[in-house]
Amino acid sequence: MGGVKHMAIVEFKNVSRVYRNGDHEQRALDHVNLSLKEGRFIVVLGPSGAGKSTLLNMLGGLDSPTEGTIVVNGRDISTLTPNELAEYRAASVGFVFQSYNLIPTLTVIENVALVKEIAPNPLSSHEMLKAVGLEDHIHQFPSELSGGEQQRVSIARALAKNPHILLCDEPTGALDSETGVMVLKLLLSMARDMGKTIIIVTHNQNIAKMADVVIRVKNGKIKSCETQDNPLSVEEVDW
Amino acid sequence: MLLKKLFRTLWQYKAQFISMVIMVALGIGVFLGFNVEWYSLEVNTKEIYDATGFADYRIYNDKGFSHEDLEAVKGIDGVDDATRFLSLNVSVKDDTDTLALTVSENMDVSGILVMEGEPYSAEDPDGFWLSDSYAKANGISPGDPLTLSYQTITVKGTVKGLVKSSEYLICLPDTTQMMPDYSTYGFVYISPVMLDSAIPAMYKLFIGSLYHQINVKSSLDKPAFVEAADRVLGSTRLILSKDETVSWAEAQGEVNEGKTMASILPVLFLAIAVLTMVTTMHRICASEKTQIGTFKALGFKNRRILIHYSAYALIIGLLGTIPGIGIGYGLGWFIMNPDGAMATYIDMPSWTLHAPVFTWIVIIGIIAFLTFIGFLSVRKMLQGTAADALRPYSPKRMKHLRFEETRQFKRLGFGTKWNLRDCVRHKARSMMTLFGIIGCMVLLVGGLGMKDTMDAFLDVFYEKSINYTTRVNLDEDHMTAAEGKELAESLNGDWAASRAVRIGDKGYSLEIYSITHDKVRFADNDMKIIPLTDDGVYICSRIAREYNLKAGDELSFSPYDSNEDYTVTISGILDSMTEGVFMTDVYADKIGITYHVSSVFTDATEIPDNPHILNKQSKQSIMDSFDVFMDLMNKMIWLLVIAAVILGIVVLYNLGVMSYTERYREMATLKVVGFKDSKIGRLLISQNLWLTVLGILIGIPAGIGVLQYLLTALASEYELKLVLGLPTWLVSILLTFGVSLIVGLMVARKNRHIDMVAALKTAE
Repeated sequence: MGGVKHMAIVEFKNVSRVYRNGDHEQRALDHVNLSLKEGRFIVVLGPSGAGKSTLLNMLGGLDSPTEGTIVVNGRDISTLTPNELAEYRAASVGFVFQSYNLIPTLTVIENVALVKEIAPNPLSSHEMLKAVGLEDHIHQFPSELSGGEQQRVSIARALAKNPHILLCDEPTGALDSETGVMVLKLLLSMARDMGKTIIIVTHNQNIAKMADVVIRVKNGKIKSCETQDNPLSVEEVDW
Repeated sequence: MLLKKLFRTLWQYKAQFISMVIMVALGIGVFLGFNVEWYSLEVNTKEIYDATGFADYRIYNDKGFSHEDLEAVKGIDGVDDATRFLSLNVSVKDDTDTLALTVSENMDVSGILVMEGEPYSAEDPDGFWLSDSYAKANGISPGDPLTLSYQTITVKGTVKGLVKSSEYLICLPDTTQMMPDYSTYGFVYISPVMLDSAIPAMYKLFIGSLYHQINVKSSLDKPAFVEAADRVLGSTRLILSKDETVSWAEAQGEVNEGKTMASILPVLFLAIAVLTMVTTMHRICASEKTQIGTFKALGFKNRRILIHYSAYALIIGLLGTIPGIGIGYGLGWFIMNPDGAMATYIDMPSWTLHAPVFTWIVIIGIIAFLTFIGFLSVRKMLQGTAADALRPYSPKRMKHLRFEETRQFKRLGFGTKWNLRDCVRHKARSMMTLFGIIGCMVLLVGGLGMKDTMDAFLDVFYEKSINYTTRVNLDEDHMTAAEGKELAESLNGDWAASRAVRIGDKGYSLEIYSITHDKVRFADNDMKIIPLTDDGVYICSRIAREYNLKAGDELSFSPYDSNEDYTVTISGILDSMTEGVFMTDVYADKIGITYHVSSVFTDATEIPDNPHILNKQSKQSIMDSFDVFMDLMNKMIWLLVIAAVILGIVVLYNLGVMSYTERYREMATLKVVGFKDSKIGRLLISQNLWLTVLGILIGIPAGIGVLQYLLTALASEYELKLVLGLPTWLVSILLTFGVSLIVGLMVARKNRHIDMVAALKTAE
């Protein structure tokens, strides 16, 4: 961790996201201001419907704000066209979902190698799978793997793009605690050893104990953004 | 409540439901339409045969039949009724038209139906009962005067009635003509009294009886009748049963042709409709599985859930059947109406539409079967406990395929692998897509190929074979062969003679040709023009097929009205409009067969008056009659092309949407990972295009196979050789490709609207 520089990689400036359904208006994010530094392990906590996934989706270029600007690595992504957003997703962010979202008709290695088609600086698929401990399963289909293994494939795929930021939406939500711990360990090492910015959205308060930064969201607003100088290691957390 | 859900679900899956309804409507429409066509023809022709007492047998004799002959025939056990009959081609005075002047002593046998004007009277001294179709084409009404001439005889009178006749159901002057042309040729009936007064006494003395034919109603079979007729009439005569007459054979030919067509195309459409239903219902039930499970968990009995979901299939069946019946009758009407395509060929009084009983049984069966498909699809989702049913449907687990081990597969890009595995994983969907493309291709190759084949047929048998400008028909009965040859020579023409011969117990035409001016040409089985040699006979393909004969074999025939048998060597097989045996005059003289010149083929522009000339027929008038035929053909081709395109679009769109829905989540993942819409679109389209290429590759031989099957079925009518022109290849391939590409683009455009967030939130 010592050698990693902590520059602001993400900045939310007065960001709002309003969903309209006829006359009904739902403000999922309400004038959010946020600045996050590079190489951190960040956890976003909040109850259901608080706006944490919306925040993650904005950052990941899956959705665009109704007002305000989002700057990632010095580039305003809030005004990008759909094609530019696709390029942004291909180059700058990796996603890890609760439900893995692997392509069932591609093998493990193919699911990871898939990103070579679009990412400008992809890493070796084999290396990534080795990093997540799946080098012996590369020719299997996702349906032949356990949930934890599938989640690790999805992490390998996200990392293979060599992104600056890894966005994880309830990455352990569908896993048993033992496998969840293994996945969190892996994600933490990505921040500590590879200098990636990891942002995890979760309900799980325990994960927050490992984080460098804990952001609490409620009713579309940032309730708090705390930096923890001495986060616990995975083993220290009482799961 | 469930009813509300039913309609809302129908709305939710509207693309699939609408395409299924269209497929069912098309399937039932084409099935019903083709069957309505042949069955209506059968019913309506039977109506005129019954109403006019269509004769079962016709006995011919060049010298005519006396009253005593008629009475002798009537006296045969098993003969119900008979009449002396005369049919003679005469000229309309001051006109180039020809009418078959007809007299029948007893109108109960092969009589007429008066459509307009006075009823027919056997005593009428000056009345013409004229073909109503000829009258309409020439602006003639009852009350108009009419003058006919035959050699030196002129018959004058008034048109008293406009009629239809079963004897002239297909009104052709001779076998070279394919389609009736009422503007130049028709028929007219006069009474025996009028005939008697028109013929000069000297003439009667000279020629004896004018009635060269006896028409007979009899329930005897042909061998028994021939044996009895020969016994009472004393010598061999040409006897044709009704199925050997043009009127019956051609009309039945059309019916059989219709039956053949009805056994191919509708089956294709129905099969595609049913298979699409299987795939679509399965997918809909799969995506409704959690709802099915919810019903089960709530306490709904399986029976109720089964009924509810089977109702979707039933509704599709019923909604498709209603327009389907409309399409069926519309299609039937398109061909079978008094101003329609069939009316240019067959001259019937009644054009009512009828569907065979079995079509209704099949339609009910189809609706029941579609409902059963729905039932089976739901039952599959209901299997196990309520908890099992609640779990979302999961497609089959992926397995490695053998070809994945190959080096070539490993080298493939991810898109190719993705699509290949998707095709294998969703076999039913891929097969259906393939089937739809093959169906589209078969219809296009079949339809356009039929046109090419007919065009080539007309080109060879008419444009090339008819190398004269005028055909002059002679009164062969009253001139010697030498006189005929002299006339032909004076016109710088080739000539032909014709005799009726018997091969086995069937009657055929023996055609003797003298070709020295290259005015008539013949084509072999490969539609190549070949010269006739003087060392044997040529037979048409139909006879060759019927008696299993080939060049080098021997053939025995005997002319009617002679007791001689001739055994000859076959020099070649010809494709010909006339079902007959062909030889040169040199060969005829060599084997000693006698003949009279019946036609001269010439380019002479001035044809001098000659009492032996019956009438003249220009090449142009023969060719003109094909315009009607080709017009009919073109309409049918257009229908097939439209059907092919609709079939292609509906099937491919339905399956495309299905594929899109099934891969929605995968595409959302690709989108999240950073794939652009255009790249995902290309991935989607490329799968469609592969299947299209494969479908085209299979569709070409399949289309040729279907076309060949049709041509074989039509072989009793036309000797056609399958021809496919370059434009047909191009249009079929490009149109199929175009349909697939357009549908692919339509579906691919949808990926712009993928909601990545929502798609990826849903549970696996």
